Amino acid sequence: MVRAQWFRLNSGQQTGVNLAKKPIEIDCVEVWRHISDYVDDEVDPDLRAVMAAHFKDCAHCSAILDGTQNVVKLVGDGKAFEIPEKTSQKFYAKLNEHLAKKKR
Amino acid sequence: MATATLQPESELRLLEQVRSGDCDAFYELVRPHERSIFMAALAVVNNDADAEEVVQEAILKAYKAIGRFRGDAKFSTWIIQITINEARMRRRKDRKHLYESLDEPTNGEHEGDYVPKDFADWRDIPSEALENSRLRDALKKALTSLPEKYRQVLVLRDVQQLNIAETAQVLGVNDAVVKTRLLRARLMMRDALAPGFDGAWKRGREYEKVRPW
Repeated sequence: MVRAQWFRLNSGQQTGVNLAKKPIEIDCVEVWRHISDYVDDEVDPDLRAVMAAHFKDCAHCSAILDGTQNVVKLVGDGKAFEIPEKTSQKFYAKLNEHLAKKKR
Repeated sequence: MATATLQPESELRLLEQVRSGDCDAFYELVRPHERSIFMAALAVVNNDADAEEVVQEAILKAYKAIGRFRGDAKFSTWIIQITINEARMRRRKDRKHLYESLDEPTNGEHEGDYVPKDFADWRDIPSEALENSRLRDALKKALTSLPEKYRQVLVLRDVQQLNIAETAQVLGVNDAVVKTRLLRARLMMRDALAPGFDGAWKRGREYEKVRPW
């Protein structure tokens, strides 16, 4: 497991944002790599524990986690992308046409 | 629009009825999946009018091919796959794929790490906020802004709630590719919807509210 001590991008480029204030078990970039699996509860228990500890210490990764969870919750809500009744009625136009031809 | 899901036994009964020539049963079978198939089409063609035509074609194709559906996959996954294939065919015909990213199966993706653009905190957004059409519009706009391969994965996994294996099956890629794309898609959506996307937060000015909630 990567144990970089300070927030730093792979390229070594700094973001200009003052992130984690103290050495932590896992660096921010590594956390971002697994954040989607973390949301889906698909990381192994050891990594989950290390990430959970990181989220407590790092306000920025914690914000990214909250935002990602918000996105998953919102887009998964049936109300987010509703289709107007009028549109859904048109979905069957070609099938109706096909069945009408068959009946003739 | 009907959104209720069918119990597996009702689905089986309807399938039997369709196979024995009851056309009306096919409508009943498809109706609970209208939103899923429309969103699947939209994820590929990225505009409502084309998606509508793709859905019309996909429903007709599914009807004609229903005799070949053996129940190895769920009916929903099967009809979504037909829709995705139909949408991809349409894009190839329209040659729009020349202007947007690939839909070819990929077994390894090495695009480097995605670096979030915005670190501002979000408060929890209750689902009641979705009553607000501006939030729904913002979500749709953010989804539309994603490159196709990320949009497809996000729609199948997070909107349709397919699992990783089903998403991989529908898209013809492996599980690892789905996970890689899903991570990027979610972070991109977060960035697109996060406060301060207009740069206000980064420039240190007083935060300009860019979200409707």
